[in-house]
Parts: sequence; structure tokens; C-alpha cells
Amino acid sequence: MKHLMTAAALALGTAGAAQAADDVTLQLKWVTQAQFAGYYVAADKGFYEEEDLNVTILPGGPDIAPTQVIAGGGADVTVEWMPAALAAREKGLPLVNIAQPFKSSGMMLTCWKDTGISAPADLANRTLGVWFFGNEFPFMSWMSQLGISTEGKGEEGVEVLKQGFNVDPLLQRQADCISTMTYNEYWQILDAGVGADELITFKYEDQGVATLEDGLYVLEENLDDPEFVDKMERFVRASMKGWKYAEENPDEAAEIVLDNDASGAQTETHQKRMMGEIAKLTAGSNGALNPADYERTVSTLMGGGSDPVITKVPEGAWTHAITDAALK
Amino acid sequence: MVMVLLAVLVWCLGWWLNSRLAKGPAAHTRAVQLLVPAVFGVTVVVVWELLVRGLEVSLVILPAPSVIAVRFASSMPILWQDFAQTILKGALGGYVIGCGAAFLTAILVDRSDFLRRGLLPVGNFVAALPIVGTAPILVMWFGFDWHSKAAVVVAMVFFPMLVNTVAGLRETSAMQRDLMQTYAASYWQAFFKLRLPAALPFVFNGLKISTTLALVGAIVAEFFGSPTVGMGFRISTSVGQLALDMVWAEIVVAALAGSAFYGLMALIEKTLTFWHPSQRG
Repeated sequence: MKHLMTAAALALGTAGAAQAADDVTLQLKWVTQAQFAGYYVAADKGFYEEEDLNVTILPGGPDIAPTQVIAGGGADVTVEWMPAALAAREKGLPLVNIAQPFKSSGMMLTCWKDTGISAPADLANRTLGVWFFGNEFPFMSWMSQLGISTEGKGEEGVEVLKQGFNVDPLLQRQADCISTMTYNEYWQILDAGVGADELITFKYEDQGVATLEDGLYVLEENLDDPEFVDKMERFVRASMKGWKYAEENPDEAAEIVLDNDASGAQTETHQKRMMGEIAKLTAGSNGALNPADYERTVSTLMGGGSDPVITKVPEGAWTHAITDAALK
Repeated sequence: MVMVLLAVLVWCLGWWLNSRLAKGPAAHTRAVQLLVPAVFGVTVVVVWELLVRGLEVSLVILPAPSVIAVRFASSMPILWQDFAQTILKGALGGYVIGCGAAFLTAILVDRSDFLRRGLLPVGNFVAALPIVGTAPILVMWFGFDWHSKAAVVVAMVFFPMLVNTVAGLRETSAMQRDLMQTYAASYWQAFFKLRLPAALPFVFNGLKISTTLALVGAIVAEFFGSPTVGMGFRISTSVGQLALDMVWAEIVVAALAGSAFYGLMALIEKTLTFWHPSQRG
């Protein structure tokens, strides 16, 4: 009952403030979870209100492509991985990175140790699970760097499976290695009763093929509108405040995420652990994109073997204009 | 703006032409009956092209038919690979196994009252399971390749086929069956000479429903894990890359394959059940 009252009071409060505040719709890349804690914290702690913003956070999911939502006008700003954003840009949807709250990549390949894999070179002649939907690009580029073909099993090739969004292929031993995120699937494997010492993991970050994850992207044409730019400056400032608060108070941030999870699918232990891992990835970013990280992402994507993700160096795919103003 | 006006004009022209054809003196000839849907289809495609270009709709939302056609023509080898993997192996394999098993089960059900009361409700239950729930489980059981897709298709087509065949086998009247009895016909003689022919319209109904189910099942099951080939795989990865023209090219393949498959079944039905009232006229 108490919750209901607070909810009603909040709803009234936002409805009252909505008349003056500017509306911003944020599309998340995935379902409500601690991966997006900064935005939920900023909303919950009133950081957006302080900036006179009324922010609506739309959760994503396996059937939602954030790039398509923003192209259709369903959102002002979206959380997306850079490979997907740059691929979209080349396809004629001019997305621009305005901020990069995530400094490091959380993606890795997790393998059974008892298969005898101890170094990346041992990956040849194995069956590997990979996420597609735009997340396969760093993997393809890594394999082409190693000189391993992804066309099928063999001395110099690997069998690639399109992995669903669960860890069963590894547990069932249908694949020797699968894609995992440090903050999510890796823990699902451990939760299934597998010891960390039975696994060997290769972080994309360590292999030099890490691409930038979870940046904030807007449509290029909107950046010509000073009002929109002003709105985004305030949005980025408040969001980064949320992120830094979440980093320092991971348990509270996880609780806030749980309160916002309408699906009720997330559990407290899982979210607290996830927030702990997420904090490691956002650490070291003040929100401004590091051009060196961007260059590395672009070269990773262009080195994708026979079928590169992007064929020419993108121009104007990022801007410091928003973060320069927001963070001064 | 010119293109949008042109689109409206083309739409009106198509409408006018079709209403003229339908009311005209030659309306009942075969040629006109084929021409009317063709005119409609061409009008839709032309209006689509003009509207998408005129309103400058982003490729990401809806590609123009010409873009899709170019992509279709330039990706023939990939499309053929996907077609072979998904339709020929997954959908057709599952269709043959599922419909065959359902037909044999229907005969068993027909012979045994025990099975009719016990098995049909279970079949009903299996048919009600959502594909998003069964597909990941079947991928777990049968692996990533087409076998798990065929298993999904079997689960989807089995029940409609079973129910239709069981209903068909009960189609004969008591009088007809009595007549067979007076001829001293055995069960199988009566079955092949009387009851199976009478059941054919129902059997084909089940077969026709199953064609589209098989296609949908095989494509959607690939969303839950697949090797790096197949129509479902291509559709889901191309959406991620915003290559919507590729998605539409796959949709064209699926539509053509589905129509051809359904048409083939309808044609076989027509030759085998020429005597049935539904085929006259």
C-alpha cells in the first residue's frame, strides 16, 4: 500500500512537472537490468528533474533493435553498441555517438578447460557459440586476426553456432566455447554449478579486439537543433551523475533497478553482482568518448576478414560537442 | 510530392481497370480471372515504390521493391543455401515425418476407442504449446542443425493433421459401412476402397494447413540457435545489421516457397479428389 501511495505521489509529481520539463525518451539496448543502472539511478534520485527533464526509459529485449526504434522516431536517444551503430550509419541511418559511459568491454569467450584450450590458437577446430544480431563483429575480426576461418570445422577453421541468449550450449557441451558478458552470462554458468576453475575465459579487451559497448547515440540531423542539443547536454550530465552514483553505491543502484523492473524477472543477488561488474566497466569514463578507443573499434570492425562490418572509415560518427558542454 | 500524387493516380487507375475487368463481358474467362489479381499485385508494388521514394522513407523502415529486387538478384547463392537449409531440410523433413506419423496415428486412433479418448487430448495439449517455449528445448535436445528445426515442425504439424485425418475417417455413413459388411469386406478392404477415399478431402485439408505451419516453424526455430546458415538465421542477423533489403529478400523467398508448396498440395488434391462435390464447377 505504501508503495502504491509513493507511486501515485510520484506519478502526480512527474505529471505536474511534465508541463515545464522537456521530454526525453531513452531506448535501452536490452531488458531492465543493472547494465543500465546509471539511467535508472538518475531518474530515481531526481538527477533528471534537477536538469528540468522528464525522461522516459524504454526497456529493450531480444525482439527489439534499438537502431530501428530510433529510426522510426520512437526514441530521442538510444543505448547501443558501436559496431551496430556504425553498421547502421553505413546503411544510411546517421547515428552519432554523443557520450560513452562505458570505458571497457565486458564481452568474452568462455570455454571448458578440459577441452584442452589454453590459448587463442587452440580455438581452431572447435565449435564456438557466438551472438549475432550485430554482436558477432568483434568475434569475426578476432578470428581473422588469428587466421582462423569461420566457414566450418577443420585444422584452420571453426564451426560457428548462432547462440541464443542463454548458456545451455556450453552446459550441454554442444559448443566448446560460448560468448558471455562479464556481468551476466558468465555468472549464469557458475550458478548452474560449474566451478570457475573448470572454465577458461578470453576477454575481448585483452585480445585487442574489444569494441565500444553501451554508448549513447542520437540521429545526426537532430544535432542541428540547438534546443535538442541543449536537452542532450542536460541529459548526459544527469546520466553521468547517475552512473557515478551507481558506481559508488552498487547495492542501492541494484535495488533501484529491481524497483524499475516491470517484468519482475530479475533477482536481487544477480543484480547486485551485475552492478559490481558493471561498475568495473564504467570506471575510468567520465562520459566523453576516448578517440583512441573509437579508432580501435573502427579498425577492429574494418578488419573483419572477407565480410567486414563497415567498408569505409566513418566520418562524423561521434562528437564531443555534447560532453564538452555537459561536463565542464 | 510528384511521386506521391503519381502513387494515388496509379492506385486509382488500377482500381478502375480491375472494376472494369470484373464487370466486363469477359469476366468469367480464365484469362481475366488471372489478370485481376495480377493487376492488383502490380498496383500494390508500384504504389509501394512510389510512396517510399516520394516520402523518402528510410531504408531501415521500409525498403523500396526495386532495392529488394536488386538484393534478391545479387544474393542468389546465399538465398539458395538458406532455402536448402531451412525449407528443404528443416521444413520439408519435419513436414514428411510429422504428417506421416500423424496419418499412421490417425489409423490407430480410428481402430481403438481407447486411443481416441486418451491420445487426442494429449495431442491437443502438445499443439497448444507455444513455439517460443518448445524451440529452445528442442534445440537443446537435437542440436543446432536442421534436425531440431524439423522436430519443431513435427510438433507443429502433427496435431492439425491428426485431427483432420481422424475426422475424415469417420466421414462415411453407417449405411455405406453396412454395405461393405454385406460384401464381406475385411477392415483393410473397407479402409482402402471406402473410408480412405472418403477421408481424402479432410486429409488434404490437414496437409494444406501444415504447409504454412511447417514454413513458419522452421524459420522461427532458427531464431533460437542455428548454424550460420538458414532463412531464420539470415533474417535475425540482417535485422541486427539493419540490412532490411536482405530481410525482405528472404521474405520473398519464403512467400514464393510457401505459395508453391501450398499450390502443389492443392493440385494433388484436385487430381485425387476430382469426384468430390467441392471440386466441381
